[in-house]
Amino acid sequence: MADFLAAYSIQNWLESCPQGYLMGTVYGHRPGEEEPAALMENEVLREEAIRTTVQLVVGERCALAASSGLINAAPDEASKRFLATQTLDEARHVEIFTQRLLDLGVPKKDLESTIQHFANPNLVKFAEVLLEKVDKKDFVAGVVGQNIVLEGMAFSVFEMMYAVSEPTNPKFAHTLSGTIADERRHVGFGENRIGSLIKEHPERKPDIEKLQKEMSYWMLATFADAFRNNPARSEWKRLEGELTRSGAHAQWHGADLFTMEPEEMEQLLADTVLKEFKIRLGRIGVEYQTPARP
Amino acid sequence: MNDPLEHTVETPGVETRPRQRFELEDTGFDEVPPRFRKFYRRWRGPGDTLGPNEVICPVCKVVIRSTRELRPGDRVYCMPCMSRLVIVRGEDGRLEARVAY
Repeated sequence: MADFLAAYSIQNWLESCPQGYLMGTVYGHRPGEEEPAALMENEVLREEAIRTTVQLVVGERCALAASSGLINAAPDEASKRFLATQTLDEARHVEIFTQRLLDLGVPKKDLESTIQHFANPNLVKFAEVLLEKVDKKDFVAGVVGQNIVLEGMAFSVFEMMYAVSEPTNPKFAHTLSGTIADERRHVGFGENRIGSLIKEHPERKPDIEKLQKEMSYWMLATFADAFRNNPARSEWKRLEGELTRSGAHAQWHGADLFTMEPEEMEQLLADTVLKEFKIRLGRIGVEYQTPARP
Repeated sequence: MNDPLEHTVETPGVETRPRQRFELEDTGFDEVPPRFRKFYRRWRGPGDTLGPNEVICPVCKVVIRSTRELRPGDRVYCMPCMSRLVIVRGEDGRLEARVAY
């Protein structure tokens, strides 16, 4: 365990992240990149991009509160230092996605009201379940909720968004690629640290299983809202049709997202995230609990 | 030692030939410091294949690459997610990595 914790140094983080893949970036993307004109000039698609980005800001604000809140609950110095780097990662994510809202035309004075207006209530519930554990300084449950459930979800959501954005919006794709790299460290810490802690505290398993089931339900409810009855559905279908005809593809987990119905995309995302939860929790000795389907 | 292969295991009678050696080139993977970049690459999806010196990290899905052929029992390190892994032979006969907590 000592070796594993030693890897979580500020020096490693500096060399990999700010001096590595973030070198030369501006708010996570390459200098001079802008949101595509086809998005900015289409009011339906622009509003949908704002709605989606608001969910990212809400999720990252939760991750920021959780990772910073867990620092003082961590049982060892190395975990505290890792969580300090994660806190900065999450603060950066909040900042870059907030900047995207401004880039999409949200006036600075309307930022908070826009976030309030578009924030998905199910995602807010998801965050509340996690932050309740953090407030109680419950390190084991907090890290499972934050670094396995929340980060595991973010990992897949960002990868799916990256697949769609790569051929359509290089600016957003580049923003996402840096966050995906960050998530690798976060899920790695979650699995490795909790994998060893759960061996020391097997009595915590029922609590953790309940937390995973509850958070998973609110996550699925958020996905359902995002994909079903989406107001931009017909515009997306039209755009995807154009992209497909021009030979563009958005490959993710063996599927071309441009040819899928929103319900199929929801199913693919939900199945991918839940499968990953099951595998990750199984590896650390926690039994996955199937959530209710909204 | 920069190679992710931290510890090798030679099982007498199972594999007697020397391990193959590999020259690695930078694959554009930029999530680790420059001196380590050739040891990792992104998994390119269902059409991708692994070499005898490669294994997928089950935690972060990055492909870990060594200058030496990998064999069951070897221990490798995944720098992008900082996981320590043990190589095993999977049910389909291919090499897999298991996390060592």
